[in-house]
Amino acid sequence: MPMPALLELQRDFARGLLAADDPGATPWILGDAVTAADRAAVHRNTFVGVIVAAMRITYPVVERLVGAEFFEAAAQLFLQDHPPRSAYLNAYGAEFAAFLAAFPPAAALGYLPDVARLEWAVAGAATAEDAPPLDPAALASLSPEQLEALRLVPHPSLRLVALATPADAIWRAIASGQEDALGTIAIAGDPFTVVVHRSPNGVMLRRLTATELAVTAALSLGSPIGTALAGAPEAEAMTLLADHLASGRFTRAEAPDLPQEA
Amino acid sequence: MGVNMALPDPRRAVSEPIPAAAGIGLRFPHHRAVVERRPAVAWFEVHTENYMGGGAPIQYLETIRRDYPISLHGVGLSLGSAAGLDREHLERVRQVAARIEPGLISDHLSWSISDGLYLGDLLPLPMTEEVLDVVCRNVQQFQEAVGRRVLIENPSSYLRFRHSTIPEWEFLAAVAARTGCGILCDVNNIFVSAANHGGDAGHYLASLPAAAIGEIHLAGHARKDLGHGREIRIDDHGSRVDPAVWHLYMEAIDRFGPVPTLIEWDTNVPPLEILIEEAATATAILDENRSRNAYARAS
Repeated sequence: MPMPALLELQRDFARGLLAADDPGATPWILGDAVTAADRAAVHRNTFVGVIVAAMRITYPVVERLVGAEFFEAAAQLFLQDHPPRSAYLNAYGAEFAAFLAAFPPAAALGYLPDVARLEWAVAGAATAEDAPPLDPAALASLSPEQLEALRLVPHPSLRLVALATPADAIWRAIASGQEDALGTIAIAGDPFTVVVHRSPNGVMLRRLTATELAVTAALSLGSPIGTALAGAPEAEAMTLLADHLASGRFTRAEAPDLPQEA
Repeated sequence: MGVNMALPDPRRAVSEPIPAAAGIGLRFPHHRAVVERRPAVAWFEVHTENYMGGGAPIQYLETIRRDYPISLHGVGLSLGSAAGLDREHLERVRQVAARIEPGLISDHLSWSISDGLYLGDLLPLPMTEEVLDVVCRNVQQFQEAVGRRVLIENPSSYLRFRHSTIPEWEFLAAVAARTGCGILCDVNNIFVSAANHGGDAGHYLASLPAAAIGEIHLAGHARKDLGHGREIRIDDHGSRVDPAVWHLYMEAIDRFGPVPTLIEWDTNVPPLEILIEEAATATAILDENRSRNAYARAS
């Protein structure tokens, strides 16, 4: 056999890491009492271990709910279907909720995919790019017309997560170490949406009413404030807007049609 | 005039150099202790990949870098990939470096990416002329992106390829000579590799170009029993530095002189005090070397 070019060798090696039954690059590896396969297995163990550890960091509540052994087995199967595409492992694991939804051993835990969906949003919010919160005082001097024309720019950490089960209550109980509270959470209920973002005090979750969701979604998509609030009762809309600004869910206000304030 | 000029932040020293003293690998469990207690540690090194994006990690690091020199050590550039570097990842590394202005920046003589898949480990390279060209090209691209000299670390080795023709020390020396990069000499990795292949760690050390050594790494490793009297040493960074590795470190300092030296510990991370104890051992060896050389000069 001619010796392989590096590109071919790396492809062979990668196949051996991704599938335990693939010989990978072993024909090109020197063996002795410790065989070529033994030696390649060191790297396969590290690869799987590193990726499972990254999943543990992103999905600690899922792991707590199913146990370490179940989690490791699920994460390994997930890895086979979804090998990482980047060395930035914070970006790894986006499809885990969908994987769990179609994972027969987890079928009895109907809330598990929702918990994973929420944890993905929480993890993403935790390491989203930094941006200063919009200072509500900057809007205080504007006339109502000027305020209504403004478009708000969401903080990079802002996420809206639609849930069919009380995954937020489950997440909160486990993340705050109050697992005794789990038994009191009613699993039945209507679907709802949670807004997730990172404040200086950490990642925050807040449930939204249907009205609040409509307003928040419109604001975060860049509708002018007047348009976003138009369909909502005024008192509810103003309270929500004040909460968004005080919580730091938006980073800037843009008024393209107005002269810049000094 | 001058209103549009970005003024330097006065709290911020520019690229504080890493001293020829013992530093510690900073891991998340110790962020708070370092900020609150400001322990007497000469410098810290972090894994670049852990500080990409925003939020608490990079904010801790920005706080800590006001009081300590920081080295950025990458594990994800895959400098041995035949297809070249992942430009998006290189840009992320560049952004962390621009924000932290580290005293040193490094990655490994290894590969982790093939056909766009990241394989989560520092994988071995055949030591051939073809691979030397690939690595030099990628190291040059790395140095151009961050605008400075980088260090390249010798990985721990568990396997060798049949078609390798160049000893690893010669390969590293050639990369340094061709690209101008420095060498991050991991003494524990030399020991582990020699044990796994029956090589001579002292010969490896003695064959490295002393002038190119910019940093030393020390860590603990494990012995994995494969049955029938066979074992393999695993560089798991999960224990104290092995006594035999301390001896090899003394040889390294004898040969290279005092060099910035890092204690790494990544699995079952112990209390900060244990890492400070390990660093103190390295400090004693560095001090002993300095006083012996001072005595030699005086007499």
